[in-house]
Amino acid sequence: MNGQGVPDGAGSPAEVDDGDRMYLARVRAEIDEEVRRRRAAGDLAGQTESELEELFLRHAPLGSTRQELHEVLRLVDASAFIDPVVPVESSRPGGAVVKKGVRTLNFWYLRFITHQVSKFATASSRALHILDQQLCDLSTKVEALEVPPSVVVDVGWAHRTDSWWVPGVVTELEGGRRRVLHAACGDGWLVHLLAATNVDGYGVDPRPGRVAGQELGELDLREEPVLGHLEAVEPGALGGVVLCGLMEGSGHGERRRLLEKAAMALAPGGVLVVHSLSPSGWDEADAPPEADIVQARPYRPGTWPYLLGEVGMSVAVTPGPDGRDYLVVGRREAGPSQSR
Amino acid sequence: MKVAFVTPRYGPEIMGGAETAARQLAEHLVAECGWEVEVFTTCAVDHITWDDVLAPGDSVLNAVAVHRFRSASGRVREFYEIDGRLRSAPAQASETDARRWLECNGPVTADLLEALRGTDADVVAFYPYLYYPTVAGMDVVSVPRVLHPAAHDEPALYLPVFGPTYAEADAICYHTAAERRLVQRIHRVAQVPQIVLGLGVGDVVEGGRPGGEILGIGDRPYMVSVGRVDEHKGSAMLARFFRLYKERHPGPLALALVGPVAVAIAEDDDIVVTGVVSEADKWDLVRDAQVAISPSALESFSLVVLEAWEQSVPVMVNATCDPTREHCERSGGGLWFGSYREFEVVLERLIADAGLRRLLGGRGHAYVKRYYQWPALIRRYARFLTTVGERGPRWAGVDP
Repeated sequence: MNGQGVPDGAGSPAEVDDGDRMYLARVRAEIDEEVRRRRAAGDLAGQTESELEELFLRHAPLGSTRQELHEVLRLVDASAFIDPVVPVESSRPGGAVVKKGVRTLNFWYLRFITHQVSKFATASSRALHILDQQLCDLSTKVEALEVPPSVVVDVGWAHRTDSWWVPGVVTELEGGRRRVLHAACGDGWLVHLLAATNVDGYGVDPRPGRVAGQELGELDLREEPVLGHLEAVEPGALGGVVLCGLMEGSGHGERRRLLEKAAMALAPGGVLVVHSLSPSGWDEADAPPEADIVQARPYRPGTWPYLLGEVGMSVAVTPGPDGRDYLVVGRREAGPSQSR
Repeated sequence: MKVAFVTPRYGPEIMGGAETAARQLAEHLVAECGWEVEVFTTCAVDHITWDDVLAPGDSVLNAVAVHRFRSASGRVREFYEIDGRLRSAPAQASETDARRWLECNGPVTADLLEALRGTDADVVAFYPYLYYPTVAGMDVVSVPRVLHPAAHDEPALYLPVFGPTYAEADAICYHTAAERRLVQRIHRVAQVPQIVLGLGVGDVVEGGRPGGEILGIGDRPYMVSVGRVDEHKGSAMLARFFRLYKERHPGPLALALVGPVAVAIAEDDDIVVTGVVSEADKWDLVRDAQVAISPSALESFSLVVLEAWEQSVPVMVNATCDPTREHCERSGGGLWFGSYREFEVVLERLIADAGLRRLLGGRGHAYVKRYYQWPALIRRYARFLTTVGERGPRWAGVDP
């Protein structure tokens, strides 16, 4: 049986239609530009701005993925100066006079201490600003390299229930007691099929909006990056991992990481299924557009025993009926029962 | 189908988000699915002291059977010393220290655990992750366990004492996908059956009074912030930001802070602090607002954002609060601010642009209608619990 999940879609407003999305993106860009303009114009007194920054960041989550280093640095800058002039207000009669006297007597000492602390804080802040700048420069350079992002290759004729490789995979996974992950699951077509045969399947798909149509249904489908998902899976927890359209378009390094994480997620005896176009299928006229767009190309079938052998799996490769695609079934060696 | 909820506080007098959510789910399961629901909880009202205030024993509240138990101990003084020591590097805390933190935070409730052990429920739902009844209760039940973390990005989430709580859950129910990302960043539970559910928006109960009349500001336009008026909820920051905004933008715009007051906010011509108001007044106040604002950075769901959208009112949220920002990004129903300058520019834009307000309010309204209506939402939850029950304890079934 399956649970159900709502895909996240955070950062990808799948619910908003295209016209609204473009308009809202423009509004957001205009807001950002206006904020930059006002900050550059310095229309707020420095001390006021520092106080407001500190006030905002005081309760911001430490691990917020929304904050950037330069934003947090604003708080560092705001706190770098240690004021030796201690407030002397008092609610008691004469208290302010006493406090002022104490402050005067200690001022030379406090000023000496706070001056050194401020100097240290300012130096630290400057170092962090340099680091931030270097990170920004590095980021710009990396972006300039234009490493194409990994894509899911949509092969309509192969990623469907009546494709030649599907019945065998379902049979392979039947009877297992652990969950089976399908990545990239699209609208959940394989998860649905697995559920019909009492296989406890669930799916993830990194493509914005691809599982959105199924989010209120009964299947456990999630919009998540596949690698990130596998990294958050308890090692040895899954009975099967099915990878569809993920190998053809990703770089070699990412493929290896994906395979390592998938293998790690499998329990002993667990099955890794990879469906891939063959290099010849990649070159055919009806190949998906990614064949021209991405730098990667599919592995040859004979490469898989070597690759999966490295992560401790036995492998069988079955070519498709017309040579355009093939199926890899790797099995993690069964060992002693692994306790979760 | 019978479900048991375990939550440290329960009842209409409880203001906590997680506890209120547990009560809403429990009551809707009874009312709309006809399920039998029981609740295991303490006699506490206050989540700091955990003092026994309500009477122990069995009672029925809105058709939900409630079993209350006294706490052997609430939050003790030692908690603050341990918390201060562990919060700088919580993930590095020892198991012993983390366990001690949990016990010192309270409420320690041996009687509750003993009663829970004997439950005949098909599924037990724990809500939230943070307290002793959840951590200890997970160990004593033999039926499938659903964890509702209600997690924030707080130091406690990283304490090792909560690792087994997440790992042993048979299913997890999240408020938002942002909460799922947060939990999965810390605990390796991506394979666990799960659902992103949230909460339903209740029926609008309008009293028919103009919001400005309730606030005593006549026809002046206003923005509204509903929820506990608290330093930690960003209320003081909001008041400071708004005062400066008014200094720089003189005009009729006012701010209404609506909810129980935990931090004193000085009222003036531009800021009205209402305290607790009736449901009807709350809906009226939100309906007539130009903008609803959620300044809090620490929300795991934020029903008040959805309630504003229910009435097609656009929202502004804290940019560092992932769940509320996620609502805005997914729905296209709101804008966010990450500094005073952003607050100022966003508010200027919203106040000046009625078309933008209508668009945002309409997008938000459609989002709430699609995902957060009680009948549909509780049926999804019921289906989820049914599948969890059918899987049986330890969902993978590999360690019988």
